[in-house]
Amino acid sequence: MPVASVLQYPWFAMDDADTIQPLNGRPPYAPGDADAFYAHVGSGGKVEADDWMPDDYRAAVLKFVEMHANSELMGVLPERDWIMRAPTLRRKLALTSKIQDEVGHAQLLYRVAEDLGKPRSAMLQDLLDGKTKFHNVFHYPTRSWADVGIIAWLVDAAAIVSQQALRDSSYAPYARTMKKICWEESVHIMHGRDVVLTLMNGTPTQRAMVQEALDRWWGPLMQMHGPPTDPARDKDLHWRIKAKNNEQLRQEFLSIYVPRILELGLRIPDPELRHDETSGRWQYTEPDWAELKAVVTGHGPASEARLGFRRVNFAETQWVRDALLGGATAAA
Amino acid sequence: MIHAGNVNAPDEELAMHYAREFYGRRGESHRLWIVARDAISELDDPDLLKPPFDRSHKKPGGYIIKHKLEAAKARAASEAGE
Repeated sequence: MPVASVLQYPWFAMDDADTIQPLNGRPPYAPGDADAFYAHVGSGGKVEADDWMPDDYRAAVLKFVEMHANSELMGVLPERDWIMRAPTLRRKLALTSKIQDEVGHAQLLYRVAEDLGKPRSAMLQDLLDGKTKFHNVFHYPTRSWADVGIIAWLVDAAAIVSQQALRDSSYAPYARTMKKICWEESVHIMHGRDVVLTLMNGTPTQRAMVQEALDRWWGPLMQMHGPPTDPARDKDLHWRIKAKNNEQLRQEFLSIYVPRILELGLRIPDPELRHDETSGRWQYTEPDWAELKAVVTGHGPASEARLGFRRVNFAETQWVRDALLGGATAAA
Repeated sequence: MIHAGNVNAPDEELAMHYAREFYGRRGESHRLWIVARDAISELDDPDLLKPPFDRSHKKPGGYIIKHKLEAAKARAASEAGE
């Protein structure tokens, strides 16, 4: 995953040609013809918001994008806790900027999801009611400043591995949105790596702080891409809503980041972790899938606190929505 | 999406034809959005777009890690050798 290659240009300078199709002859299937539709996406074809699509496909894209949007929105809460505790003004600015970016990603993704037919208010309500999910890593507490570095570096790195693959999604509005998101995530990774490096070049206590954070985050990081799925039964993969399977993403993450972690003198808390030269694959202790399942269904150590905060915040900001949306209604 | 250019036309329909001829006749465009000039809101205030503060923390190049990384690797290597 060449992060460096996406860093050189602003995201909007990237070529859109691969995700925008010529209008003539598009879409190449008759509305209502589900077989032709799936043949189209199966052969790498793209789908636009106003194209006809089968209900199954629409529901699957909506679920996927909504979960992604929820994760961006919930993911800023652990970081928000550290703005006032960041050690320098520059770190405060960088962390605040990261949070602004992530909330912006949520806005972009909710817009993509809205076009598929579910109102934003319903998505927010379902999130607050615990009916929809967000990523496992945002259900855990943060304990030290080193957590901020590990999250921005490694959690964002694990996320960008999957997000870069999503730029090839069959749902074109999602794929296009992912370009801006990936570009901004690259900045966050640099910020996180800089925080970790600064601590690693500091005192033994600071190094121990990073090691302790890595020890706590390694389990959730290994769970983050989800258990290996049977490709034949994975609809999201089959319909190319996502372009790579869970295990491919995890292997890719390990290939890039294990060397970068080890070169700093950090230890990875998994005695089974090694690269198997014969198979070309990383071997590791089986992640705790029961924990993943419990956590994403709202039973993580910080799940209730995070949702509780979001509920309070949602209620407190009701007047903003009333003012903005009420005005629009009155004008219309 | 990039700004392809301008056309001067008496009405929307002709503007579309001109745009197609000017900016799409070689198959170089996938879509064209044609917007009347007075429908464009412009923001060109440098205080808003190029604020006088350091914003390098918002860009990947704002983090210079080369020497930090070298120092961390050297320390890790020397500790491993002990």
